[in-house]
Formats: sequence, structure tokens, C-alpha cells
Amino acid sequence: MASVVLSEAEKVYIVHGIQEDLRVDGRGCEDYRCIEVETDVVSNTSGSARVKLGHTDILVGVKAEMGTPKLENPNEGYLEFFVDCSANATPEFEGRGGEELATEIVNTLYRIFSNESTIDVKSLCINPREHCWVLYVDVLLLECGGNLFDAISIAVKAALFNTRIPKVRVLEDEEGSKEIELSDDPFDCIRLNVDNVPCIITLSKIGCRHVVDATLQEEACSLASLLLSVTSRGTLTCMKKLGNGSLDPESIFEMMEVR
Amino acid sequence: MALDHRRVPGPEESQAPLLYAVPGEAGTEVPGREAASLRPLLARAGLLSQAEGSAYVELGGGTKVLCAVRGPREAAEGRGRLLCEFRRAPFSARGARPRPGPAAAEALAPAVRLARYPRARLELTALVLQDGGSALAAALSAAALALADAGVEMFDLVVGCGLCRAPGPGGAWLLQPSEAEERAAAARLTVALMPGLNQVAGLLGSGQGGPPESWAQAVRLGLEGCQRLYPVLRRSLLRAAERRAAEAAQPPLASKSVT
Repeated sequence: MASVVLSEAEKVYIVHGIQEDLRVDGRGCEDYRCIEVETDVVSNTSGSARVKLGHTDILVGVKAEMGTPKLENPNEGYLEFFVDCSANATPEFEGRGGEELATEIVNTLYRIFSNESTIDVKSLCINPREHCWVLYVDVLLLECGGNLFDAISIAVKAALFNTRIPKVRVLEDEEGSKEIELSDDPFDCIRLNVDNVPCIITLSKIGCRHVVDATLQEEACSLASLLLSVTSRGTLTCMKKLGNGSLDPESIFEMMEVR
Repeated sequence: MALDHRRVPGPEESQAPLLYAVPGEAGTEVPGREAASLRPLLARAGLLSQAEGSAYVELGGGTKVLCAVRGPREAAEGRGRLLCEFRRAPFSARGARPRPGPAAAEALAPAVRLARYPRARLELTALVLQDGGSALAAALSAAALALADAGVEMFDLVVGCGLCRAPGPGGAWLLQPSEAEERAAAARLTVALMPGLNQVAGLLGSGQGGPPESWAQAVRLGLEGCQRLYPVLRRSLLRAAERRAAEAAQPPLASKSVT
């Protein structure tokens, strides 16, 4: 993860402040920074969104293309994720520096979306075993200001909400060969239901308290964080521990109560 | 007609025949299993002669993991680093050849005293020979055993435990699921604990687990399982050390060998 170099005195300052429930920018331990979400920013995609969370800036584009369904699930479409940590975000990402982080984010996204209840992939199927919609979700990290996972999950949810998949009709010939016809009207499309798409909440352990939405400086002071993905109904779909430290079991249970 | 000897006379892509199997009598496997029963575990350290440390862990029911540690080697960077590689043998899972497994280096980092190895690099390779359920948990335990066997300074051993939740509302969490239970599961969780210090080193879960209370209960069950597995791993380390001492004292220079 991108990091800043902090002196010992700055770390002590941050840790002591958090113990008093006061963070460097005046927030409480469970307050988020101001989030700005903008959809439909890129015109060449089927759906797009841009999220700004403090200094973190994420751009997500979704392109819907037709492909063959996977053999294990012939009646469903699927999603493919790709994360690009551009060198604009921080100088550490130059060349191949950002690949580890990108792989971690992609694996987490796959883990969340491999759940059947997250997105209705059966609606993405056109012809069982032959044609289906494949949604290529591309995440671009423009600026890295801490708390990447939360911002990315919000951006992906917004982009999927904004996605317009054109309606297709399947015509069958006498010999049985199928032809696909795209409707002429550009506004005739199906939208995805993103009610069940979860959002990620990252809780970082600093000192003996945990904070939500850590900035880069706070991330440098934290030993470990717990990543939880929560749906709007309050069910947890994914849990992961990040960071090189260890967590006390009691603090894990405390963190789960917070969400 | 000239024969093209470079091409294999067969289809370009191959699929496992299980994909075409009719899902019929799968369902009802081991119904009468106690949720908190642990499978028998075999752990043996110090079996590879070419690696500094090695360990082999086998869970009753077919999970086999082999782990080797090489190092410390000299590295260019200032801090000590632990490089983990988790691999699955291509024949390890039933069905098609799987993709590479997840990276769980973060679960082992809190246990190793990397500060004592500046400018050094520890390389750890874990190979899952057969996946009979809870492979990641077994791999974490094997990795910690191999590190200890190599003589790397550690705070404590890391014990891994896998859990899965049966499908259907109100499904119970099962400890150390078998492969069939894992495939049919609604949610999966792997917990890694350092039992001597009672610190959670790693946590990875996904699926439709339900409300956080159910996940909290699952984590508690996992931690209990880890505590119960700890003595087995310790004994295997002791036996490996005794074996090494016996071998070292074997050449008839001294009068008696220490047993």
C-alpha cells in the first residue's frame, strides 16, 4: 500500500489523539470523510463512476460485451475485474510497483462478487451455453489518499448502477442457427439491480482503538486492519485481515459490532 | 499427405468430464457430523534435506500440504522480508485444474521476528498436494512449522483452522470441512491464531454468512479449534528436534548417542 514516512513524534501524536476519540482532521473514530460520487463520466463505456473520498480518487468504467458463458455456469454471465494502479497515484506505483496491490484488490473484488446473491448473473445470460453478457469492470486509481478498498467498492457499485446493457433479441432460423439482433434505439436497455452489492468497510487498529476510513498517515500508524464487506441488509459477505500485525480476538468482535 | 508431427491429433482445449455430470445424488454426505469435531492431523517437521526447514501436514480425509523454507539469504533492501508462495499442484483439486491459490503472507508475518533479520530474505514455498478441504488452514500451519524448523526466530507458532457454513437459512458452522462440505457451503472462513499469545494472525472469509453475530460465533469456534491443534504441532517440532539431535550424535566420535 502507498505509505508516507512519519516521524516517531507524529505517530505518537496520532495514536494519543485517537485514544481520546479525536483524529488529526477533527473527525471522531467512526466518521467518514466527505464522499463525492459522480456517475456517467466517461461516454465510451456502458457505465462509469468516479468517487472522491478525501484525497482518494477512483475512476471505474464498465464495458458490457458478449461472450461465451463459463462451462461450470452455462446459464450465467460473469464479471471480470481489472485494477490499474497508475503512477499518478503515488510514485511507488511506477512500473510494476503497483501490481501486488492491484492483485490484492482484484482478488478481494472477485471474492465479494462470487457470491450468488450479490449480482443477478442469470439476467446476464442471452442463450444458455452459447451467449452471455460479460461485464468488464476496470478500476483506475487516480490518487491514493488512504482507505482504497472502501472507495473502490463504492465506485464499483455506482458504476454497475449506471451500467446500461443494450437489449438483444435472439432470432432462430429454420435450421436452428441463432442470430442476435441489437435493438436500434440506444436508450432501450436493461439496468442492473445493485441493491445487494455490498460496500467494504475497513477498520484499522491504532493503539487500542479502531478507526474507520483511515488516511495515509493513520494507516502508517496502524498495525493491522480488518476489511468487512456489508450489504444494505446488514449481512456480512466477506472478511479479511490486512497488514502485518496481529489482532486480539476481542478487538475483532468489537470491530464487527461497529459496522 | 505429409503428416504434421508437431501437432497433437486431438482437440485444442480439454475439459474435465465432471462438468458434464448430472448433479444427482451429491447432497447428503456425512449428515451426522458434530460441528466442533476436528479431523485427525498428522504433522511432521524436518523431512526435506535440501531446505533449511520443512514441514508436512496431513488432515484426515485427504488434505496434504508440504512446505519448505529457505533462508535467511542476503537481500538488497534494508528490512527483513518474508516471501511466501502458495501453490497448488495441478492435480490437487477434484475437477479441472485450478487457478493459483490466494496469498496469505500476512498471516505469517506477525509471527516472525523480522527485525532480527535485517537485509535478509526468507523464502517460503507451500505446495498443496491434495485438497480435501481446509487446504489454506493446513498450509498456514505447515508454513509456521517449517519456519520454526528452520530455526527462524518467531514469537509463536501460527495454527490455521478452516470453517464452513452449511447452505440454507440458519446453517451451522462446521470446523475443518471436508471437500464435499466445502463445495456445498454457503460461506467459508479460515482463521489463523497464535495460541500462545492469543492473537489472531490472519482471517479470511467469504460467502453469505448472515448477520455479524453468526460470523463472530464462527471466529470463536475457529479460535477454539486452533487452540486444540496447538499441542499436536508443538509435539511434532519436539520430535523433529530429538530426531536431529539423534542423527547428529550418530557418527561414532563420542562414546554414546543422546536419546
